[in-house]
Amino acid sequence: MWLWYDWRSAAVADSNGNIVDVEEWDGWKDTNAVCARMDMIAHQAITPEAERLSERFPDAKVLIHGHEDLPDADWPIPSDEALNALDRAAIILSKRGVDAAAGDPDRRLEHILKASDELRASFITIEGRLVEWVGLFLPEARFERDRSGLARKVIDSSSLVELADIIEIGMPPVGPTEAEWNSLHDWAKSVIEIKSRLESMEDVVRELATEHLPSLAGLLGPILAARLCVEAHGRARLARLPAGTMQILGAEKAFFNHLKTGAPSPKHGHIFMHPWISRSPRWMRGKIARTVAAKATIAVRCDEFGGEKWSQEAFDAVADRVETIRSENSSPPKM
Amino acid sequence: MAKKRRLSWAVMVDGRAIWTLNAVPKRSQYGESLRRFKGLEYRRWDPTRSKLGAALSRARQTQYELMPQEGDTCLYLGAGHGTSLSHIHDQVCGADNVKNGRIIAVDLSPRCLRDLVHLSTLRPGLVPVLGDARKHSAWGVMVARKVDWLLQDVSQAGQAEIFINAVRRFLKPGGKGLLSLKAASERFSDGGEREVFRNVRVQLEDAGLTIEEQIDLHGLEDNHCLYFITN
Repeated sequence: MWLWYDWRSAAVADSNGNIVDVEEWDGWKDTNAVCARMDMIAHQAITPEAERLSERFPDAKVLIHGHEDLPDADWPIPSDEALNALDRAAIILSKRGVDAAAGDPDRRLEHILKASDELRASFITIEGRLVEWVGLFLPEARFERDRSGLARKVIDSSSLVELADIIEIGMPPVGPTEAEWNSLHDWAKSVIEIKSRLESMEDVVRELATEHLPSLAGLLGPILAARLCVEAHGRARLARLPAGTMQILGAEKAFFNHLKTGAPSPKHGHIFMHPWISRSPRWMRGKIARTVAAKATIAVRCDEFGGEKWSQEAFDAVADRVETIRSENSSPPKM
Repeated sequence: MAKKRRLSWAVMVDGRAIWTLNAVPKRSQYGESLRRFKGLEYRRWDPTRSKLGAALSRARQTQYELMPQEGDTCLYLGAGHGTSLSHIHDQVCGADNVKNGRIIAVDLSPRCLRDLVHLSTLRPGLVPVLGDARKHSAWGVMVARKVDWLLQDVSQAGQAEIFINAVRRFLKPGGKGLLSLKAASERFSDGGEREVFRNVRVQLEDAGLTIEEQIDLHGLEDNHCLYFITN
């Protein structure tokens, strides 16, 4: 005996394919109720109709509509009117699914991080242009130490003469025209503006990452944690990566080049941004990257699978371990 | 001037271009051109944007059979942003679903579903479903009766297997199935894409499906091949 069911009805057929009993649900005119039913079925639950029939025919095999083991029988397939109700429910369910995607922190993190990266890239070119531009008119000036303060100084002065006074150098024979100086002045304004926008954006990244990846952000810093998460296409995937992949995440090009041509393998990807690695001498970076990546995979797994947030002692233990590696390898290896 | 041929009530071939009768007049779906023939507005089907469009312009023996009939129930796995879908809708449902067709469009990505939900408000008869083409249990009950026409265009490994399972479960006996195969999504094999295409052909034949035509989309959609089968 078989018990067939779909979202709207359930039926029992004997082994010859004759329908013995049918239970129907008449609540399908309410679209929200149909949505609830579809949710129920998507979670592999059994409908109340099927349950009732199953109590009446305990030895019937319960199978959902479309299952390949079901025999051919005259199952009570929904009417066209019911199908239209189902179509309306499908549209609502799809809308809900789309809305739910907006709450996905992985997607949000991706947009804000990429946006701040783009903004930073353009900030560097715009700032560089300002330094070169001012340098053209004031060849004696040296900005290497204070590139970021230059924009502020340009804004504070109303002409090139005043600017030269502020930086305490003499005026060159040829200066910009009035209109040219105004453009330069505006350019400096946009440098300041973009910089403040960039800072507030990175604060948002920090905030989102600390919330989404508390342990990993504590270990590696929020920006790096966010970058790894975005690179791995989401926390769920990042948490399932092995430590070796975490170590070279972001160095895919070097890695596949290594596989293809036998060039030296990359020792670190995005994780290089962490001062433990980038501030260490070259020969110990690989060792530290390996340790830190291994700890980072554990941290992100705690975040993903609802573990406890790492305590300060846990972070200190990793820092101690890094210190040990540094002292054990203080002299460069002999060639 | 090339001679116009009709493939069906809504699909027309004019030289190399394919046109479908626009179910939502004055509205271009993805930037395609609109044109009037004898007082009716048609949309141009861009074969470089749609694999089904490419297959229609490349098909040799089965050009008249590839498309579903008006009023059919269709299942489209991997509907994407609805480019092909809008043309299928022109044919199967028509304006305000006069032909009483039903197209169930399944896609995994919420981003694509956003477009499909919007499309479904303009085009009645279209049912968007957010789900994985492989996981029939989550959305299989949406398909009450077996469908007349099935198109699969997913880029996951094991496309042939997904297709065979979908055909077994959802396609009517005698129904038409189209598998758009992306060679790059399959595991790499030494023989390159030709080897992949051959293997899939054998796989489909072993599953008892009749291959009506294998259409190579090279030039319009590289590394793609469309299989037209009946079961």
